[in-house]
Amino acid sequence: MEEILRMSNISKQFGEVFANKNVNLDIRKGEVHTLLGENGAGKSTLMNILIGLYQPSGGEIYLRGKKVSIDSPRTAVKLGIGMVHQHFMLVEAMTVFDNIILGVTHDKSFFINRDKLKKEILELSEKYGLDIELDKEITEISVGAQQRVEILKALYRGAELLVLDEPTAALTDIEVQGLFQIIHKLKEENKSVIFISHKMREVLEVSDRVTILRAGEAVCTLNRDETTGTELANLMIGREMTPSIYEKKDGAEESVLELKDVDYHKNNKHNGLNHVSLCVKKGEIVGIAGVDGNGQSQLAQVATGVLAPEDGSVILKSKKVTKFSPKAFIDAKVANIPEDRNKMGLVGNMSVEENLVLKATEDDRFSKGKGFFLKKKAIHEYALKLQKKNDIRCSSVMQEARNLSGGNQQKIILARELDENPDLMVAVHPTRGLDIGATGYVHDCMIEARDAGCGILLISADFDEILKLSDRIIVMFEGQVMGEYSGKNPPIEEISLAMAGKE
Amino acid sequence: MEAIMNVNFFVQLFLSTIRMATPILLVAMAELYSERAGLVNIGLDGIMSMGALIGFLFGYMTGNPVLGILAGALAGIAVNMIYAFCTITLCAEQIVYGMAINIFAPALASFIYRAYFSDTSTVVQGISMKPVAIPLLSQIPIIGPLFFNHPVLVYLAYLLVPVTAVFLNKTKAGLNFKAVGEYPKAAETLGVNVIRQKYLASTICGALAGIGGAYLTICYTSTYSEGIVAGRGFIALSAVIFGRWMPGGVMLACLLFGFCDAIQIRLQLLSPGTPYQLLQMIPYLCTLVVLVIFGIKKSGPKANGKPYFREER
Repeated sequence: MEEILRMSNISKQFGEVFANKNVNLDIRKGEVHTLLGENGAGKSTLMNILIGLYQPSGGEIYLRGKKVSIDSPRTAVKLGIGMVHQHFMLVEAMTVFDNIILGVTHDKSFFINRDKLKKEILELSEKYGLDIELDKEITEISVGAQQRVEILKALYRGAELLVLDEPTAALTDIEVQGLFQIIHKLKEENKSVIFISHKMREVLEVSDRVTILRAGEAVCTLNRDETTGTELANLMIGREMTPSIYEKKDGAEESVLELKDVDYHKNNKHNGLNHVSLCVKKGEIVGIAGVDGNGQSQLAQVATGVLAPEDGSVILKSKKVTKFSPKAFIDAKVANIPEDRNKMGLVGNMSVEENLVLKATEDDRFSKGKGFFLKKKAIHEYALKLQKKNDIRCSSVMQEARNLSGGNQQKIILARELDENPDLMVAVHPTRGLDIGATGYVHDCMIEARDAGCGILLISADFDEILKLSDRIIVMFEGQVMGEYSGKNPPIEEISLAMAGKE
Repeated sequence: MEAIMNVNFFVQLFLSTIRMATPILLVAMAELYSERAGLVNIGLDGIMSMGALIGFLFGYMTGNPVLGILAGALAGIAVNMIYAFCTITLCAEQIVYGMAINIFAPALASFIYRAYFSDTSTVVQGISMKPVAIPLLSQIPIIGPLFFNHPVLVYLAYLLVPVTAVFLNKTKAGLNFKAVGEYPKAAETLGVNVIRQKYLASTICGALAGIGGAYLTICYTSTYSEGIVAGRGFIALSAVIFGRWMPGGVMLACLLFGFCDAIQIRLQLLSPGTPYQLLQMIPYLCTLVVLVIFGIKKSGPKANGKPYFREER
């Protein structure tokens, strides 16, 4: 097959860190080429260079055999390169139609000729089976539909090469199948697709060839038909994957958290708790299984003191809680891995070291006079120690936390929360959006904490994660506890039924 | 009280409303262009005072009010380019540089005035723009003098409203322009040159605010005095919020503020006993009340006030 794109020896530096180092990539016409790599392996950076958002520090790009310099997204659009970003580039205050005709298109008329343009767009959307409603505002349509708008946007600009950056991350299973059909359609039309993902099953299903990126470098390119999922996973992580099945344990007699008949907005099926009773014992992991939005978020917030229940009691280490405040819970050695690390777990604009001591600024180790004067040097040394211990990859501990990859951000939170040897840890979706390597690390940390005697309440929408880690499994549905199961040889079918609300 | 019942009184009141609203409208449209491209510019007072001074000076020197207005526009652009360079190219904080313009520009204007007319004890009389009566239309009773007998600048200011509305809602260029204020990165990935659009917005903003200032010294009075702008830039700023970032809404807001100004002057004449300072507060009070009511729900352009840096991760 004919080559459409070749990126040769591409490098990109952010400060001291190489996000890409001498990366080579070639894409053929009409193929689906996957970029596979962990979070922070440099996939998005490479693609942002391709579409002209970033300027490479070194290297060349050849399109259809001719050397090109892509100095702005405008150039990329003109060269027929389109990208669907992981976080959609859609203007929410505008309609689908406005979003599609925005920017550089073949239509140069001064006034917007709605009828003519609409007809063109509809023809194109029919050709590729992209079902969209042009007059709806972006906020009114589903995530899957927004993605179709993004694809249509690129096609409308005449894209021959389409980059899809983690397109399945936000989609439901059915939407993923729909997306794959669209990708097949694109292939039939002889367009090239660069597919970015770290989900092995999808990669194997959709790709023709796979290029593996690791720590900013391209490891190798393989044909889909000549490789296996295990080989790809090993290449991606750079070490042999050992299927680690953790040993399941019984907790001690002593319980660290007990909820008795807790109610919170109990008539609200999706965001409430209805007579929830459960307990977490010392040295065990209790997994809360359930489809997202069945009260798990509220459960986590009650268990960390953010929300006060309307009825019922919460008992922390055999003491009934009377005052619900996060501070009181922190003082009672409750650690928290919140569901949204960017909004609730970290202050993005603050440095890694500041985030690491965020909870302990009043501690004598870090400040004089209960947080009045910070001991900068002590904080710095402490941060360096934790950075090393937890392998937090950043250019320096002074770097802003928001510039780190998701996995490294989660490591900051884990380091902060686990350093105090908590008695109870509430972990909500602790590995959401993380790649295999970072996920394994988070799991190891949790098991280690359990073995050290910490009781863990694990809330996750990822059923595999619940099965892998939990010593006991509790199923929640519409704010109620549906049942409790042992983590050793759990009855998977029964649990799945309970998650769907069947007794 | 008889005077109030007089038809002529109302004609005069509304005429005055239109005249008072004109500079605010010009400057509010300046701010509208700026904010629609994501630049909150609170330096309007500063730009206006430069426009007022330079407009006055050129009008005075050339004897031609049109040249004065044009000079005011250029002065406004020049001042606003300082703001533009710092906030767009250097990604600096917009509020800080807007404030800096407010402190720096009026002082510079007064300095130039004093340096040019070394004797400041007498008021220098400059040029003034004559009203242009539109044939036939201006003959209609009441409506004629109200709407069709104004200096050209007034017609242009009000014409700007539908022109802007069409630009923002019906044209391709306007769509791209709006997208820059909503989600610059999205616009950029679609090939819009965000930085250029922002400089374009700043140029329009500087020119209109400069003209708004020149209006004060060429159409409204024909003299320059320190503090002539009197916070009109800030009133215009609130007019944009009150008008929900829509040209039509902004115009209505400006007319409301103009009306407050007009009625305040009339009340001063009607009740000589009341301290005039109290009555002068009316437009500002009105601004305050409007901001309290309409400022709560912020619904302006999404990326308003945020610097744009392409390689941000």
